[in-house]
Amino acid sequence: MPNKTLRVERVTKRYGALTAVNQLTLTIRAGEVFALLGPNGAGKTTTLEMIEGLRQPDEGRVWWGDVDLAQKPAYARQRFGVQLQNSEFFELLTVRETLELFHSLYRQRLAVPDLIVRLDLAEKQHARVGSLSGGQRQRLALACALVNDPEIVFLDEPSAGLDPQARQNLWAVIRQLQAEGRTVVLTTHYMEEAAALADRVAIVDHGTILDEGTVDELIHRHTPSAVLELSREVGRDVASALSSVQRVDIQADALLLVTDQLEKTLIELVNWANDHQRPLTGLKTRQATLEDVFLTLTGRSLRE
Amino acid sequence: MNAVIVLTRSLLRQTLRNRQGLFWTLFFPLVLMMVFSFLGNAPSRVSLAVVAPQGASNTVVQAFTRSPVFTVTRLPRVVALREVQRGQLAGALFVPKEPAPHHPIALTLRYNNANALTAQQTVGAVEAYVAETDLALSGHPPWLRVSVRALTHSHTATYLDFLLPGILALMAMQNSLFGIGAGLTRWKEKGVLRRFRATPVLPGQFLAATLVHYVIIGLASALIVLGFSTTVLHATVLIPWGAVLTVLMLGMGTFLAIGFIVAGLSKSQEATVPLINLISFPMMFLSGVFFPVSSLPHLVTEIVQFFPLTYMTNALRGLMSGQFTPHAAAFGTDLLGLAAWLVATGVIAARVWRWE
Repeated sequence: MPNKTLRVERVTKRYGALTAVNQLTLTIRAGEVFALLGPNGAGKTTTLEMIEGLRQPDEGRVWWGDVDLAQKPAYARQRFGVQLQNSEFFELLTVRETLELFHSLYRQRLAVPDLIVRLDLAEKQHARVGSLSGGQRQRLALACALVNDPEIVFLDEPSAGLDPQARQNLWAVIRQLQAEGRTVVLTTHYMEEAAALADRVAIVDHGTILDEGTVDELIHRHTPSAVLELSREVGRDVASALSSVQRVDIQADALLLVTDQLEKTLIELVNWANDHQRPLTGLKTRQATLEDVFLTLTGRSLRE
Repeated sequence: MNAVIVLTRSLLRQTLRNRQGLFWTLFFPLVLMMVFSFLGNAPSRVSLAVVAPQGASNTVVQAFTRSPVFTVTRLPRVVALREVQRGQLAGALFVPKEPAPHHPIALTLRYNNANALTAQQTVGAVEAYVAETDLALSGHPPWLRVSVRALTHSHTATYLDFLLPGILALMAMQNSLFGIGAGLTRWKEKGVLRRFRATPVLPGQFLAATLVHYVIIGLASALIVLGFSTTVLHATVLIPWGAVLTVLMLGMGTFLAIGFIVAGLSKSQEATVPLINLISFPMMFLSGVFFPVSSLPHLVTEIVQFFPLTYMTNALRGLMSGQFTPHAAAFGTDLLGLAAWLVATGVIAARVWRWE
């Protein structure tokens, strides 16, 4: 695989009054798995589609190596592998016919039978697309994205709607793509997925990148060492009053106490519980995760 | 080029496997033709009164009674003549008493010549039948045999022959409009087309494949209806292939373009289908598919004559009934009208249609 860096330079996309993507800049290195992490509506899909050439940016450029993709869209289409969010195909064609159709549209390509085996579609190869389950359809979409032996693969929410087993299988395929020297760019709103797969993560919200880096870098940069979880019964004001707690966030029915002095916070909490004869229900301590990074950066939870 | 062929093949597969869609494409026209083949043939019999006194040749009377060409009633002379005079019966046939052997039987036919068409039909039918029966009775095998095929829908044409060209035009319209409005638009909305935009396929190539696919489907269903009507239902029409195909293609092109315009202007498929109905319904009933445009009020005719479906129906019916040849000026006018529609709608479609 040739080594080409993908550079997104100050790209902007507006829909009427709404700015979906705002001056977004990114660098994706050849051979890495790069994840765009953010909630729905953050501008991940729009960003991806501007790179893929499906949408024209209002401002900015996308470079692949030394090629400006706006100047050579056909070049990118030959070499990019694309899986769209909610990919649909002709529902009355079979899996094999669909793959053969896509296969015949490219110059450089992988053999259809190999792809069928690789994505575990052998049993379903003569089944019509309309009869496939969500997971099978996702595998077909992935196979169609690989049919041209792409240098970069773009996967938009590849694990949306998959059960845990199917997600594990997908992750294995993505790791293998990287092992073959392909660059993988994916969007997700699953923290675990970004943490498990990505060499580097960009956190996206409101059409801009809040920060990017490896998962460890992001955690070290934005959150202290630990998070303490508690049931909300304790009360936010009580938690905020503890001297060692830096910040209190609320996530679903839990209070998240962010601290860099875990032992001190624990002692303070236990003392408070003793004094007031109240239980500390749901008490948990853990290391900070990407989720906490996201909370720190945006002030809200990723799943909201 | 290769992409166009591959895409066309995939689109054809998709359409041919849609059993329900195919059924409705063919079912309605075929059933309609069948219904009218039963209705349409009955009135073409010639109603005849046979006036035969006692001792008249029974063989002759029976021959006429058995004939599928005539509806025969035996009447007394005075009544028969009065009925013919009033136009209730097409003619009265007088059969004389049995003459001496080896002398010809002189039949007399009285007909009403107020209506030239009926008169011609009656005389023609009786003369032809007499000649045929004469030969048969004489016991000699016929020397000559004539197969009669109608050129014009004047006297022997049935309603079926009249309807067939109209149905072909109607099918071209419906298949094209609903093909874009219900087929392509659905693929557009579901994101099938969008996925192809991420491949090296150019929009022009996809468009070409779409058009070729709809034209193939349109021509094939026209051929099926045409074949069924002529072989099974015995519709008698002329088929100057080149000219008929030209009309069908121009018409389909126009209606595909109108489909693209409607689909391009409306926000969703749900909004497209009612709009298509709004366009196709008036043409279906006013453009001469089921009855001649000339039977409409004059003012309506003035407008309706410029509808694309009217041009199509006129051209196809003219060609297939033999009213005009592909070289006739009238055909040229229809062709020109259709071509103008195609260019105008094509230009608008190119501006209005969006691939997503």
